[in-house]
Amino acid sequence: MEIKLTIGEKKELKEFLSNLTVKEMLELLDVPSETVVVKKNNRIVIDEELLEDGDELEVIQVIYGG
Amino acid sequence: MDSCDKCGNPQIIIKMKRSGQKLCRECFIEATREKVLHDIRKYKLVDKGDKVLLGLSGGKDSVMALEILNNLRERHIIDLVAVTIDEGIAGYRQEGVEIATRNAEILGVEHRVVSFKDCFGFTLDEVMKNDAKNNRSRHACTYCGVFRRWIFNMVAKEEGANKIATGHNLDDETQSILMNYLEGNIQNLTRIGPKSESKNPNFTVKIKPLREIPEKDIGLYVVANDMEVHFAGCPYAGESFRAEIRDFISELSVNHPTIMYSTLRGFDKIKPAIKREFSGEAPTGTCVQCGEPASGDLCRACSFLKLWSDD
Repeated sequence: MEIKLTIGEKKELKEFLSNLTVKEMLELLDVPSETVVVKKNNRIVIDEELLEDGDELEVIQVIYGG
Repeated sequence: MDSCDKCGNPQIIIKMKRSGQKLCRECFIEATREKVLHDIRKYKLVDKGDKVLLGLSGGKDSVMALEILNNLRERHIIDLVAVTIDEGIAGYRQEGVEIATRNAEILGVEHRVVSFKDCFGFTLDEVMKNDAKNNRSRHACTYCGVFRRWIFNMVAKEEGANKIATGHNLDDETQSILMNYLEGNIQNLTRIGPKSESKNPNFTVKIKPLREIPEKDIGLYVVANDMEVHFAGCPYAGESFRAEIRDFISELSVNHPTIMYSTLRGFDKIKPAIKREFSGEAPTGTCVQCGEPASGDLCRACSFLKLWSDD
């Protein structure tokens, strides 16, 4: 499936296997889920949310440390 | 199917770690705001008629604290003034200053920006460059903490504020507790808590309204509320001891999700005993240079200034 991914300033189209949750996708991207808030199609979602082909995902880093 | 435990809305945005409670956007915002207001009452952080000086960096924690304390200002319980300290960190601080200014403007809260450069004649970047030149290895956070504290106390006096509020959250507080345990700084532990008071009348009382709110929840709160905040890390923070402790607690939290609460609760239980045993050593004198609290002739800020003038 294809996901429109925005992380900070970076936007890209990314291919993933089907039936991924937000948490699993973040693990693939090596982003700790505890440091981000994720919006799917402009709506905040929890880690267990399932992703579907064509979803727009925004990963907002809210914890930087310090 | 998951749905909000309060209103049944199927669009939940959080499953709370401490309670397992599931909440939608609206109920999460309301529950979090209520929790902070509850803590303010529980720990008697403010009294009617207080003038509170809030340290407003423009980051998520202080912007959330501004919004909630402004709620008390609008209800005529407290008077509120915000101060943003510009330490002079190139490429980092300016955006925070601008965001802080806009947030204060939106709410109509009196706001001041005070810089290290204006107060002391140098930026933090210049201090660190000077240190490198003179082979000193103090961490930037040491200087920053000392000079920020000095400015907060100075502005509080100028504004006639009797409380200084900061946006410290559960993660910050847990890190401080563990850092001081591990370093054996028992004296510092006596000063950790929702409200720090001192026998020295020169100290302004410090309050932490967000002390029991996890950092992630604060991030979620500001995003859910569409607040403009400065999401960026201080370039000096990565190499600190605090950063090592933060990573350690984060790792522990994966398998022990309530570890920060238990650390805080355990500490709060033993704190009265620690305070009884160790609270007698706080500085009771006054700096001969600036009049701020000091354990010797000079406060820490003036000691650093003297050291650099001797370079």
